[in-house]
Amino acid sequence: MTAPKEPNSARLSDRQKDVIQKFAALGSLFVLIVVFSLTSNAFFTVNNGMTIALQVTSIALLGIGATCVIITGGIDLSVGSVLALAGVVAALLVKEAGFPVWLGMLGGILTGSLCGVVNGILITRMKLPPFIATLGMMLIARGVALQITGARAVSGLGESFGELGNGALLRIITVGDDGFPTVVFPGIPYPVILMVVIALAVSFMLNRSILGRHIYAVGSNVDAARLSGVNVTRVTSFTYILSGTLAGLTGCVLMSRLVTGQPNEGVMYELDAIASAVIGGTSLIGGVGTISGTAIGAFVIGILRNGLNMNGVSAFTQQIIIGLVILVTVWIDQLRNRR
Amino acid sequence: MRKLAQGGDFMQTGQATHGGTGAPTAERRRATEQGSETLLSLTDIRKEFPSVVALADVSFDLKRGEVHAVCGENGAGKSTLMKIISGVYTPTSGRITYKGVERQFASPLEAEQLGIAIIHQELNLVPHLTVAENIYLAREPRRSFLVDRRKLKADAKACLDRLGVAISPDRLVRELSVAQCQMVEIAKALSLNAEVLIMDEPTSSLTEQETRLLFKVIHDLKREGVGIVYISHRLDEMAEIVDRVTVLRDGRYVATDAFADTSIDQIVARMVGRSLEEKFPERTAQPTDEVIFSAENLTRRGVFSNVSFSLRRGEILGFAGLMGAGRTEVARAIFGADPLDAGRVTLEGRELSIRNPRDAIEAGLAYLSEDRKAQGLAIKMPVDANMTLANLKALSSRLGLIDFDRHARVTQDYVDLLSIKTPSIRQPVRLLSGGNQQKIIIGKWLFRKSKVMFFDEPTRGIDVGAKFAIYKIMDELAREGIGVILISSELPEILGMTDRVAVFHNGRVTGVLETARTSQEEIMRYASGFGPTQH
Repeated sequence: MTAPKEPNSARLSDRQKDVIQKFAALGSLFVLIVVFSLTSNAFFTVNNGMTIALQVTSIALLGIGATCVIITGGIDLSVGSVLALAGVVAALLVKEAGFPVWLGMLGGILTGSLCGVVNGILITRMKLPPFIATLGMMLIARGVALQITGARAVSGLGESFGELGNGALLRIITVGDDGFPTVVFPGIPYPVILMVVIALAVSFMLNRSILGRHIYAVGSNVDAARLSGVNVTRVTSFTYILSGTLAGLTGCVLMSRLVTGQPNEGVMYELDAIASAVIGGTSLIGGVGTISGTAIGAFVIGILRNGLNMNGVSAFTQQIIIGLVILVTVWIDQLRNRR
Repeated sequence: MRKLAQGGDFMQTGQATHGGTGAPTAERRRATEQGSETLLSLTDIRKEFPSVVALADVSFDLKRGEVHAVCGENGAGKSTLMKIISGVYTPTSGRITYKGVERQFASPLEAEQLGIAIIHQELNLVPHLTVAENIYLAREPRRSFLVDRRKLKADAKACLDRLGVAISPDRLVRELSVAQCQMVEIAKALSLNAEVLIMDEPTSSLTEQETRLLFKVIHDLKREGVGIVYISHRLDEMAEIVDRVTVLRDGRYVATDAFADTSIDQIVARMVGRSLEEKFPERTAQPTDEVIFSAENLTRRGVFSNVSFSLRRGEILGFAGLMGAGRTEVARAIFGADPLDAGRVTLEGRELSIRNPRDAIEAGLAYLSEDRKAQGLAIKMPVDANMTLANLKALSSRLGLIDFDRHARVTQDYVDLLSIKTPSIRQPVRLLSGGNQQKIIIGKWLFRKSKVMFFDEPTRGIDVGAKFAIYKIMDELAREGIGVILISSELPEILGMTDRVAVFHNGRVTGVLETARTSQEEIMRYASGFGPTQH
């Protein structure tokens, strides 16, 4: 009489656990917001909200790529360097080769894709472990970025180069009686729009398309996927190309915000990206992960940084706190999976 | 009918050769003397998990020098009971007495120190260390703070010698066969002075000869007074070594009998709670003359050579042979999972050119691997995702977006068709039983409209009731014109289910036999590389 009940109750509690996990992450995000709103007046304002969203963009964009890679059971350590390379390529194309801004940026993004293609070949064709392949790419891409710029920032790019990173949709500015413009509503920054659109698109791809299903299948059991006719090479390569492309895009956005090509930009960003995925419940063993989780993870990191800043917590202490957050969330996840 | 009779024959011969347990009287006397002492006893054991009662009122005892088998279908509570004996779980209620002292084992380590060792179905050795290092792992003999390598080797050799197995203590474990690894595990248990040895499905991946050797070792251990708890799905082998048998069903105790006083049919009936008159369903499919699939001179250098066979519509063709004879390797190569150096493969008169599993699936072949968890299923994914994995295109728009309504309907259709027991099609497959997992894989290939299906050990680790269902499905597939190839190490299964048998030895087909006109002995002769009988 207990036997037929067993799977039923197991399923329910499994689903409940999933819901609890989602709410736990969202809940802690909420708690963070409340706490920081109480401790700092400047925190809970439209302006600061937009600032956070803008800061989160780069972590989230890289995190989306990292999530897809990690679901297949891989890892991409190269994105921080790739974004620097992509950004300086875009800047150099505009400044040295005289490309229009949009074409230069497209060149930057494609540079990121190309790095992803190389990663994919190293991993699927040459059978290198993803950790090693992308570690190599991390050093190479950074080296190339420093080499082609002579380790100097590329500046003097013109105002239009900054449009993507600094512009906003629906920005309302009134010109007061004194002739000075006042910002009534800061608008929704373009990078934030970009982040939302890409998150929705990739989430849709993962949940609704054959490709998405194959990505999960490869991560869950690569042999079973191959014996079921999944083109493992193509699926795996795709995730690295996506990750590289998003790194390229992130690079263009970041350099556009600075209106300079910075070859030293993005150091250690790959770890933020991985951390956001992991905080959001993506399993490093593969087969498990969602974009919504990663988005929450990215906001947890972004809000922690911003809120701690506003409260005057030193950068060193911030690192300690974020490190602890990663350890605790993954530990909770482990506890949950052990049951 | 004929097959049943043969199946029965097999059982009887099985019992005749070893059934007398033709032990010398001296040995038997000693066994009974020792047998009087109860080593371990469990009384009214109950184990509850948050949502389920895994064991209720189970009692079990083990005497010195006996082999006590525990039987039951998957989910009957065998492994929970073993985990309680070996200290992994603490029972919710009940008494455990070991060597006359009532005890609660706090951890597996404590149980091990007291002399209770378990040999898991999945062996727990470190592949990159030597045999000796594995036997004494974490308790290496020391000379001051260094490992005393000479003593380590000598002690390990002594353990292995005691078992009478010729494995060098210096070999790396990853170079050993499964059977040899098992011997190393037993040696390790002996080095711990284990008095209770729990063996979980020890023969599931052994060849006939290796099983013989294992049984010899078990006999020796009995003589030395070790009590052995023996779990196996292979009831036919038990006659050779088992003294008593306890049956569990749905977490409850059913009965304990001296093996000599019971029969396999009675044990099976107790396990399933009803009597199974037949182990194999009546074959309804009639082979036609039309050849739907044929292989000619398949060769993969160093693995198999010149393998040829043909399969007729409506027929079930068996692949028999010892482990490592090349049966699985041939199937995998045909399927494009491994490279093929030479040979022709023809399906429905058309020659196929297969470079990878995708080509094979596209052509209409299906391979159901012997290791479901490692190669057959995406274990974390739900039933529906596994069922449709090989044929998502059929459920998707041109842009590659999945139509989830049809996706759910198709899955439900196959769940119904194959009577898959699952609370929902969204249930992760790792939570289902082995039989239901196997049915999901079958469903996956049916939905792909496969024309020829290779079943590689389809009933391994599956309980009796589910085996019957799988056999029935295979028969129905054959009747509907799907070519079925059954790769099996269990000869009764080959005799009970196939129309013809291709026997493999050392990477070659040594004979293709009509099942109706052959016998277990003849197949074994071909499988051992001896040609046809010299009557």
